[in-house]
Amino acid sequence: MNGIFAYLACYSLWPQASGGDSLMGKTDKSISDFRQVALEHLDALFGFAMVLTRNRTEAEDLVQETYLRAARAFGRLVPDSNLKSWLFAIMRNIWLNQLRHEQSGPQFVEIDAEDESRWQWLDQTASDPHAVLMQKVEREQVRSAIERLPVRYREVIVLRDIEGFSYQQIAGILQCPAGTVMSRLGRAREQLRSLLVRWQAGTVTK
Amino acid sequence: MTNTCDQIRIQMGLYLDDELRNGERDEFEAHLQSCTACHEVWEQECRFLERVRAAEPLYVASSQLRERIERNISTSSEPITASHNLRNRIQEALRPSYSPEFHPHLPRLVALTAVLLAVAFAGFWLFSMRSKPDRGLQISGPSDFALMAVDTHLRRLRGQLPLEFISDSPELISSWFAGKVSFSLKLPNYQESSRQEKLYRLEGARLVALKNDYAAYVAYKMKQSPITLVVTANSVALPSGGEEIVSKGLKFHYDSINGLKVITWSDRGLTYALVSDLEERGQQSCLVCHAGTKDRDFIEGLKITSINR
Repeated sequence: MNGIFAYLACYSLWPQASGGDSLMGKTDKSISDFRQVALEHLDALFGFAMVLTRNRTEAEDLVQETYLRAARAFGRLVPDSNLKSWLFAIMRNIWLNQLRHEQSGPQFVEIDAEDESRWQWLDQTASDPHAVLMQKVEREQVRSAIERLPVRYREVIVLRDIEGFSYQQIAGILQCPAGTVMSRLGRAREQLRSLLVRWQAGTVTK
Repeated sequence: MTNTCDQIRIQMGLYLDDELRNGERDEFEAHLQSCTACHEVWEQECRFLERVRAAEPLYVASSQLRERIERNISTSSEPITASHNLRNRIQEALRPSYSPEFHPHLPRLVALTAVLLAVAFAGFWLFSMRSKPDRGLQISGPSDFALMAVDTHLRRLRGQLPLEFISDSPELISSWFAGKVSFSLKLPNYQESSRQEKLYRLEGARLVALKNDYAAYVAYKMKQSPITLVVTANSVALPSGGEEIVSKGLKFHYDSINGLKVITWSDRGLTYALVSDLEERGQQSCLVCHAGTKDRDFIEGLKITSINR
């Protein structure tokens, strides 16, 4: 089944969008081409995997599986396709397929596990320690609030507001009409805004 | 608020997402210029989205994950042609016999046999002295490592953990792990060296994340029962908890989690976990490394006899 989803992701969703990393005019797509362009999206894919699974170990395995599937299907990717949204669609299909196989069992939720490297870039880009701290607190609040949302809202917020995909591209990744993306995004932002306001007012604990 | 204002509020998200068509966009901007209330809402919406978008990136992949992906991409084109492993297996199968004069790898085989005998002797020395059981019994909750091993086993059963390297050769799997994990792992091959009836089948291997490191995962099958072997360095995880059984200086921790049997132990700088749904303590899973007749004593010794939980 996983293979079928990856196949569909390769053949039926694309090409309908192009972007900065589109494979325009590429006919001889090798593994080295793939490595060069696909690894740029590792952080974004890992972020999306964390949003879907909320578990670091599962997210890493999901990212690995996504790259493996994508590398194998890369040669069949239609020219002018948007590689990033293609990778996201493959990841979501694998995750959905895994959910279908999910049985009850021990689940490890490690969303509080902190990776120091996450904040290293801040140290490099800002010199004011107070500003750095405030930015970190702010980012942490937003991240925690997003993690609190139901997965259908989490994914649409991340795809639009963090990754910057268009409604049409999101519709391709989620395999739903663009109108659904629009309405779901509106509801997701409303819930997110409400959570952040309540946290700021101190009426809800994180 | 007029009907136009209602429409503008609905279109606010679309405008900020650059999803309005040219005509709609012009109308929207013209309304904002003339309506203070809508302009205020628009500013609030801008601040909110700016705050959310400033949280990017939400997560950053670890350098270990990046290295792992790079390695995997490099090898991902291999399935297009038959792997070296498959070629070797077919060549082995087509050979008329194992007689030394026809075997091009005789020197390597002699060396391998010597290593296997040494490992078998060490196994015998460690495990076969049942006459002095030196057992202790303590029971506490399973360790994180045991839980992780069970989770890994369950995810494999659900089809969420495809093998990265498929082989039934302990030597090839040991080589595959070289450089991928921070420790040296050498899987023994008692079964082949003893020329016994096949009790189990080695299926393949992959890496699994454990804390900020990678552990080695090896999949076996005994009849229809899958067996998971997870190995990591002592510095990453140590066995603890469960029912403790001490035998000749090695302490084995036995747990039953969700109907699965887990045995964890540490030896020579490495920590091991064996997971199976085999009977009693799952001690039959030990056969994946201790299939020699001399080790049967040890395996029998793990059976539940006088120890009561």
